[in-house]
Amino acid sequence: MSIDQRRLMRTYAHSVHMAHNTLTALDQLSGDGDFGDNLCEGLDQVTTALDAAPTEPAFTIAARVFLDEVGGTSGPLIGLLFQEIAHALADHNSEAGWAAGVREGLAAIQRVGEAQAGDRTMVDALLPASDALAAGGDAHASALAALNGAKATASLRARRGRASYVGERVLGAPDPGAVGVALLFWSRAKVMEQEPGVLADILSAGQGLIPADLDMQGG
Amino acid sequence: MNRLFLPEHAAVEQSLRGLALAHPHLIRLHQQPLYITARHRHAARRVGLVSGGGSGHEPLHCGFVGQGMLDAAVPGRVFASPHNRQVYEASRAAAGPDGVLHIVKNYTGDRINFRIAAERLRADGIAVRRVLVDDDIATDSAETATGRRGTAATVTVEKLLGAAADQGTRLDDLAALGTHIASASRSIAVAARAQTAPFRGGEAFQLTDGTLEYGVGIHGERAASTEADTGFEPLVDRMTQQVLAALPPDTARVLVLVGGLGATTLLELYAVYTQVCARLAEDGVDVAGRLVGTFAPALDMSGFSLSLTAMHDTWIDLWNSPTRTPAFPVTEFPR
Repeated sequence: MSIDQRRLMRTYAHSVHMAHNTLTALDQLSGDGDFGDNLCEGLDQVTTALDAAPTEPAFTIAARVFLDEVGGTSGPLIGLLFQEIAHALADHNSEAGWAAGVREGLAAIQRVGEAQAGDRTMVDALLPASDALAAGGDAHASALAALNGAKATASLRARRGRASYVGERVLGAPDPGAVGVALLFWSRAKVMEQEPGVLADILSAGQGLIPADLDMQGG
Repeated sequence: MNRLFLPEHAAVEQSLRGLALAHPHLIRLHQQPLYITARHRHAARRVGLVSGGGSGHEPLHCGFVGQGMLDAAVPGRVFASPHNRQVYEASRAAAGPDGVLHIVKNYTGDRINFRIAAERLRADGIAVRRVLVDDDIATDSAETATGRRGTAATVTVEKLLGAAADQGTRLDDLAALGTHIASASRSIAVAARAQTAPFRGGEAFQLTDGTLEYGVGIHGERAASTEADTGFEPLVDRMTQQVLAALPPDTARVLVLVGGLGATTLLELYAVYTQVCARLAEDGVDVAGRLVGTFAPALDMSGFSLSLTAMHDTWIDLWNSPTRTPAFPVTEFPR
């Protein structure tokens, strides 16, 4: 099945806006609290650019905006994920292309940031999602994997990124970067699912990460 | 109270405009985003050499753009890494038929932003390699994962790689050479007074009388230790021996870089050089090349660095090859 990049990007922008306060609160525990703002502002710029360039692929636009315009380190790293997804979908606009893009995006982020699984970064959501896709899992399976991975960062001490300076004080709350990335996979599952009921187990996996009324909102 | 003479807004941009206005035949200024490129390059050069980092270290890196050295340089704000977009655009402009070599000082921000740019260049089909300079032995600790800082030896790496690039050296060989030079280069720096805080004025930190900061970097941070000042000759001897001890054990000849940290005079730097030469002669180590002056300062910090590079035979000709850049001094031509 081909992937509607624009619909996915708009759904992701909507999901992140709904989670804006959660992301800000999580980032205030470990960073300077601007992650939610940066992600929301970046996605606002992307949605504006989508309207201005109706034929350009959404992930190509998102890659350019996040690499060139979004502040902090997390923004450009998410830009690399978008860049690799854009490349892979240009080759194969399919589930296989999506899986390849996620895999390459994860590889690029790990080359740049040198983060491994368990370092309490966005890799802890991206890696299980990529593994689920590589094992033949669908959008639903990869969303579950990403959300469970993001949730599990709550019990991890940071070894990379700014949270590494505050040590055990962040234990108990998940990493905002991992949550922000997990929402991309949640959005993809939401776009794909015909029956709203099958989102229930994803919502329960995302408890505390996804605002309760998010599944009721339109993409 | 001391202060720096800088405009309140866009100080780095205004300084870069001045550099380009002063050397219009050598370099070109790009403002959106901000970077400098060389106007001319050797016809044999196959690889674009790109470096960059925080401002406040002038003439590093923009002053070393030109024939025989860098093809492009990217400035950040004072003591802050440039944005990945600057590195990306400068690298696209400077890329040769073999691609781009990034010369990066070992700081977390610089590493991440050059790497993000490298990922973008690879996605565009441009080959990229990186040479990481990590010469500062004051930060040589097994306890941290960040490793040694990159400081003044970056100048040596940029000069030698520029000459090698002009011989048509391929990208992989150039990257290997740069890594070899970086691994053969070590530095230590000492300060007697902090730099001026750029926009608020006054000293960035206070030192008590009769003490020195031993092992400072170039970002105005304090050193690991504040020590009693034991006098000129013991200080220079100790620095020389410490850096020499960090080089490969069979080192017979070195390149010497005595670098001012911003406020230290040539009167002082040449006196230091004399003492370094005397110490090296006692240890039976030959001086195969030298550079004395201010090339990688920490704004106007009072102090100096000593960098030694264990010289491979084939590097001496590279060191003595001509350059045409705003700031690198014309080297000697002994043959």
